[in-house]
Amino acid sequence: MQKIQSSLEKIREEIEGFYDQKSWHFLTLNGVALSNEKLEVQWIFSKYATPDEVVVYYIEVPYDVEIPSIADIIPSAIISQRELVDMFGIAVEGSTKGLYLDEDSMQTPLKGCQI
Amino acid sequence: MSRKTINIPLGAQHISLLEPVRFKFECENEKIVGVDSDVGFVHRGVERACTTKFKFDAVGYVVARICGLCAITHSLAYTVAAENLLGAQVTAKAAYLRTLLLELDRIHSHMLCLSHTCENAGFEAMFMQIMGDRELVMEIQELISGNRVQFDYICIGGVNRDITAELGKKILENLTLVEKKVREYKDEFLNNWSLSLKFRGVGALSLEDAYRFNAIGPLARAAGLQTDVRNEMSYLPYKEIGFVMQMQESGDIHARNMVRLDEIQNSIEMCRNIVNGLPEGEIITKIKGKPQGETIVRYEAPRGELMYYVKGNGSAMLDRVRIKTPTFSSIPAFSEIFLGQEYADAPAILASFDPCLSCTAK
Repeated sequence: MQKIQSSLEKIREEIEGFYDQKSWHFLTLNGVALSNEKLEVQWIFSKYATPDEVVVYYIEVPYDVEIPSIADIIPSAIISQRELVDMFGIAVEGSTKGLYLDEDSMQTPLKGCQI
Repeated sequence: MSRKTINIPLGAQHISLLEPVRFKFECENEKIVGVDSDVGFVHRGVERACTTKFKFDAVGYVVARICGLCAITHSLAYTVAAENLLGAQVTAKAAYLRTLLLELDRIHSHMLCLSHTCENAGFEAMFMQIMGDRELVMEIQELISGNRVQFDYICIGGVNRDITAELGKKILENLTLVEKKVREYKDEFLNNWSLSLKFRGVGALSLEDAYRFNAIGPLARAAGLQTDVRNEMSYLPYKEIGFVMQMQESGDIHARNMVRLDEIQNSIEMCRNIVNGLPEGEIITKIKGKPQGETIVRYEAPRGELMYYVKGNGSAMLDRVRIKTPTFSSIPAFSEIFLGQEYADAPAILASFDPCLSCTAK
């Protein structure tokens, strides 16, 4: 697994430059709650027909920022963007709450222990 | 002139799929022109439970409860991730036995999907026939693992039970019977009007859209996208036991059925090679320590790519377990396929996706 750190400002541009749909397969968007009140957001890719080659772009951000959407670059990302909104309560451009939780739910199940 | 459309729901409870998913189709006459989906009816919070309620060595058994059909694939993906973080490797025999149960699981899961496809075509007799024959595989699974559904067979370090020579013989006998049945199904799926001509050209996904929507599993391979995690990983001995990627090109319901039938035949061949060439050795290796670091493990579940991200901190409780299931990431592709199709075909198209909502809303 190769991890590449990026920033909130550059991540969209970097994924757009990296992603070639014939070579790379987008797995999912992932969030990892960090101990310093920050969230690590990961965009995970694997290479077609290549054993064990996985690339992870990631950024570390506070919970009060908006993550840029990549759904116009990778349409299948839309559903994991919605999941990130539900599970961590972080805003993702163009994604609303309500995939798993109620639309007006105050819960953020994977953000620390706030249930 | 403004376009007149009506909204027709399919689900959350529908006769064609006994799982809680709701599609809202916007229809212009009979044609579907818009799709909205809701998959979150039974969210159970398994990811959170894995990091707050259970120690790392129990998590493999917890994630097996995500799905009744592909429980073994969840156990495998998590367990391999935990072994990666512990720096451990299993014996060749354990890897072979894991692969045996994984491929048996694929056979009965594909048989279930094919039977539902028959049911949606109004071919009730074939539905009953395949479900009955599927018991041959379930019987072997029970004899190997002790259970029909929740196997709890894979554990950190290897597997929990060995197979005897007598059991090996029984496995080969049942597989021979299943193989004969599958040849008969294939003839029906190729030549029977209800199962072949009716589904040719229906619910098709183009190769271009398969790439665009990151299609996986039989959905992708039926459209000609050459992707199968069994071909893209090295922790199970697929190269040694005769794995062959099964492909079609038309991307329609018929092609998906044919991919599954071909995969059953290839899985039977692989199971036979495993039983006949099972290495000597221990089935379990004692492993000490606590998981530290992060890892990603992928496996080809019957419905496509399953991914586990696991992060450990050196203690018995994990920091994060992220589970990406095949149906979850296929929802955008499903929605795309429905566009332009007749509403009357929607239940059959949905059944051909072989969706698993238990996995999706883990």
